[in-house]
Amino acid sequence: MLNYTLRRLLMVIPTLLILVIFAFYLMRLAPGGPFTSERPLPPAVMANVLERYGMDEPLYVQLWTYIKNIICCFDFGPSFAQKDRTVNDVIAQGFPVTLTYGFWSAVFVLMLGVPLGIIAALRHNGFWDYTMTGLAIFSQIFPNFVLAPLLVLLFTLSWGLLPGGGWNGGQWQYIVMPAIALGTSYMASVARLTRGSMLEVLGSPYIRTARAKGLPERTIILRHALKPALLPTLTYMGPVFVYMITGSVFVDVFFSTGGIGQDFIDGAYSRDYSILLGLAILYAVLTFALTLAVDLLYAWIDPKVRAGLS
Amino acid sequence: MKRRPFLFAALATTFLTTPAFAADVPEGVTLADEQTFTYRTLDEFSSFDPQVVEDVDGSNVVRDLFEGLYNQDADGNIVPGVALNHEASDDNLTYTFNLRDNAKWSDGTPVTAGDFVYAWQRAVDPELASPYAWYMELMAIENGASIIAGEMEPTALGVSAPDDTTLVVKLSEPLPYFTKMVTHATTFPAPKWAIEEHGAQWTRPENMVSNGAYVLTAHVPKERSVRSRNEMYWDNENTVLDTVTTYVIGDEAQGLTRWRAGEVDMTDIPAGQYPALSQEFPNEAFALPRLCNYYFNFNLASGPEAFKDVRVRQALALAVDREIIVDRVLQGGQFPAFSFTPAATAGFETPDIEMASMTQAERDAKAKELLTEAGYGEGGEPLSFTYLYNTSEAHQQVAIVATQMWKQKLGVDVTLENQEWKVFLETRGAQNYDMARGAWCGDYNEASTFLDLLTTESGYNDAKFSNARVDELMAEAKSSNDPQPLYTEVEQIVAAEMPVIPIYHYSTNIMLSESIQGWPINNVEQNWYAKDLYRIAD
Repeated sequence: MLNYTLRRLLMVIPTLLILVIFAFYLMRLAPGGPFTSERPLPPAVMANVLERYGMDEPLYVQLWTYIKNIICCFDFGPSFAQKDRTVNDVIAQGFPVTLTYGFWSAVFVLMLGVPLGIIAALRHNGFWDYTMTGLAIFSQIFPNFVLAPLLVLLFTLSWGLLPGGGWNGGQWQYIVMPAIALGTSYMASVARLTRGSMLEVLGSPYIRTARAKGLPERTIILRHALKPALLPTLTYMGPVFVYMITGSVFVDVFFSTGGIGQDFIDGAYSRDYSILLGLAILYAVLTFALTLAVDLLYAWIDPKVRAGLS
Repeated sequence: MKRRPFLFAALATTFLTTPAFAADVPEGVTLADEQTFTYRTLDEFSSFDPQVVEDVDGSNVVRDLFEGLYNQDADGNIVPGVALNHEASDDNLTYTFNLRDNAKWSDGTPVTAGDFVYAWQRAVDPELASPYAWYMELMAIENGASIIAGEMEPTALGVSAPDDTTLVVKLSEPLPYFTKMVTHATTFPAPKWAIEEHGAQWTRPENMVSNGAYVLTAHVPKERSVRSRNEMYWDNENTVLDTVTTYVIGDEAQGLTRWRAGEVDMTDIPAGQYPALSQEFPNEAFALPRLCNYYFNFNLASGPEAFKDVRVRQALALAVDREIIVDRVLQGGQFPAFSFTPAATAGFETPDIEMASMTQAERDAKAKELLTEAGYGEGGEPLSFTYLYNTSEAHQQVAIVATQMWKQKLGVDVTLENQEWKVFLETRGAQNYDMARGAWCGDYNEASTFLDLLTTESGYNDAKFSNARVDELMAEAKSSNDPQPLYTEVEQIVAAEMPVIPIYHYSTNIMLSESIQGWPINNVEQNWYAKDLYRIAD
């Protein structure tokens, strides 16, 4: 198990390197640069600006300096658009925001999606099944850009219960709507996934055996059926969780949370290369970490997988 | 050297005794207990460093945090700031500013002429590499261009401080509008000691030292910034608002929602919503003239052959019904344009332009006639080209309407092409287009900020228009005491040659809560100072 984990961790290094090189060149293919503006800078001013940011060097030198600075000093460079700040500043400020509401959104997804799925499976083809499935499909057809304005219309404008946006240090009133807007359609998917795999597990021979032995229904569901039934949900939640905590561009912009989702889009528009690259690396590292975590959880849940690993 | 004291000398004496330029609260008005003002900004600010900031929203904050030589009043006229008055030499190449002796930084240090010298040298220093170094070049400060080019040391800049309250500026050209330019953030003083101690981090609230009416007390990038009254400010007793908060709200519609919910006092009006909102909130929806124009560039360098014929350019310009674009499409109180320079520009009189006095029916008839004469359109060679604009719903609407007009009236086929902003800038800058959208906002309130764009050497002359007479007139205007006749002639040449088609002049559309008073609605640059505002009781 330890061996496996180490092996996986070692694989991260070459993968990240490829990602950085690829992203570095790809970004520069887009026409325009961080200092392209409506008023073109006079050549002398442009030369000074480029020199200050090391952009007067050939691309491969810039790339090498970039990688060197990361390895030696964990320095991801200055932001081109927010001139008083570095990439580290930007991520240190924005990431905790998206992590917070992303986390609560994931809690919302699991706490609501999984029970809904189980209930639907247990009452297969019954009233509750149809209600839950209906509800799940209903929430899935509500993309966040439709749901978010609806939430604001109700909670802010009509009832005056919640602020229409902002973050204010992460008080709960500011988290509710972003978390719901971000999570609702995933919640629906989780409910449907859980329902499907629960139905499959409930039809399997070992559950029939357990029932034949006269085990209480509660034990059968919670102890024997739930764990394997959650495997597909778990696979699904790994990348979804990365997506959630790295911030949805829409939710960040709409609710003005100050999270890093907004930096993705701003960085792309303003050609803030260093921000984009920094975020791409963050995104990649999180994806690695969470897929690894999911795989390890798999091993914990499923003895067959555990046997395969060691 | 004989010196002509500026009109301010007289003004300044009264100024010291009465608070004529601070918040002007009329008698009988009840002020609110909580003097706060909250507004929405679209993006995070580029910087709070006066020499580095380059966005409009950032400059609005910097104008509150720092005070330059002069400020603007509610009508956009210059009024004393740190400088009380100035004298200009006879040749208008040397300006001597007399600074007040009671101005202080937020840490209590006096503001001296040396702080301005430091700041101005900093602005052109290749080491700081400020993108706004060009502004110092535009101000024609002696040796500015050479310092930027790295040929001279920053200390060679033509600005000096013989004593703490005297600032002497030497210019390389006698710019008639030089004093108007010192209300710009790039020219604000900078606290050397704080910058040297904290480096790039000096603009953090905990490190920042500033000399304006406010100090930065909190800043959560991309979420909010808070500025509070600066107790050290020389005119602090006449400042009314205690705190000013900005919220970054990227979505315009969401900005409006939060304005409706009372979370912000001011926000921009989303495109097309001004008519409805001005009905719903007649006292809170504003359409204010703004120092920006909107036009179509003909590519005269490498565009279609037809564009080389002035009759074709005239015909296309005539056939655009600007009233429809302004009144039916944009609906935000914009102004139909026949001149390049907005009518709202200070000291600028819109010249008589033939096209402006015609009815649209007359224009259409003339357009057909000219196009036929040129051998295009009905009965002639078919005319078709591509119109390029940057991706935006409003630009798209203008493009569709204008090209439909050409299609229906002149039988001209136009293909629309839109590009993302920076791609668009590259394409347009490299003249890889037939016709492209153009727009310009004045850097200062004077016609040359617009008309300079049409000179041969201008880096922003995307049409690649070149007219020797225009170049000559604009060069002459730089040292003329009365440039208006020169500007009139330039506008007339432009109207005759039509290298660009002026479409409209912008307006600023804002929702401003009724309780906030003192807004400079007549300042076409929309340069506002929180120290001039106040909140009245509901």
